[in-house]
Amino acid sequence: MSSPDRSSAKRTTAGAKLAKTSSAKTASVKVAPKARAAPSVANEPSPQEKADFVKAMSKGIQPNTEAARKVDAKKRAAPAQSEPAETVKILRKIPAPGAVVNTAASEEALRVAAMIEKALADGDLNCLQPHAQQALIGALCKLYAANSEVGNRFPVVGGRTAVTATDVMVMCGALLKAVDLQVFELGMWQSWSSN
Amino acid sequence: MAEQFVGKASEFKDGERQIIQIGKREIGVFRHEGEFYAYSNICLHQGGPACEGLTIANVEERLRDDKTSMGLFFSEKDMNFVCPWHGYEYDMKTGEHISDRSQKLRKYEVLTKGDDVYVVA
Repeated sequence: MSSPDRSSAKRTTAGAKLAKTSSAKTASVKVAPKARAAPSVANEPSPQEKADFVKAMSKGIQPNTEAARKVDAKKRAAPAQSEPAETVKILRKIPAPGAVVNTAASEEALRVAAMIEKALADGDLNCLQPHAQQALIGALCKLYAANSEVGNRFPVVGGRTAVTATDVMVMCGALLKAVDLQVFELGMWQSWSSN
Repeated sequence: MAEQFVGKASEFKDGERQIIQIGKREIGVFRHEGEFYAYSNICLHQGGPACEGLTIANVEERLRDDKTSMGLFFSEKDMNFVCPWHGYEYDMKTGEHISDRSQKLRKYEVLTKGDDVYVVA
């Protein structure tokens, strides 16, 4: 073990060396010395060194000095990396809704539907006489049920038309009444048959 | 902001959508009536996948001259898309929430150069 006196002497010698190196650096490139961490008073830079340091800092790195050469060498060795380009990743493709296939009968039905909508908009409630409405409703009811039976299920109302909840309740009530069914029976059939 | 290639216009059918990821951003790219639209895929409500729900025509109430209602109809020209989580509905052309136009999804510019489609993001 070394005595406290000897270790402090060593520190002083090391501090002196560092101070010497730092002052040499300041003189050559006017860059701040880094080895100034030792807290002892002996390592405190002189007022002249402090002034030189401040001047060097304010002037920045001067061309054709050792510091400038070091900076140039670093720049050449490691060129600034640009940000990596962002890649586009396709997560999902959502197809367009099913294409509509129009048959001749479908086109005729659409024409009649458009005519009814227009008549309704104009307030003409007699555009279709009751027997014509009965024929249409009956045929559509059977067609929809037959499709549903074979598993071809689709929303009963869709596309570019909208019916109100009241319209639906009036129509459903009339359909049930036409075949002498109660709402209770409809509910029971739906729960038993999972429809 | 850079132009990011997202696909060929010829392979993008009308009515189709693509959900893409650019960096950390998830974007829905729509093709509707020949035009391309791109919006952030994060719903303003609770962060759901806003661009992945139904596309549905705007429902509008038509009025007679005396301001009485003719009923509700689907619009012939305005299309909306609906967040599948809670039904927030956005205008296809602007990304605005249909009942509060001050709220809107972040919109991304879509460029077509020849057959190539780019999103600026």
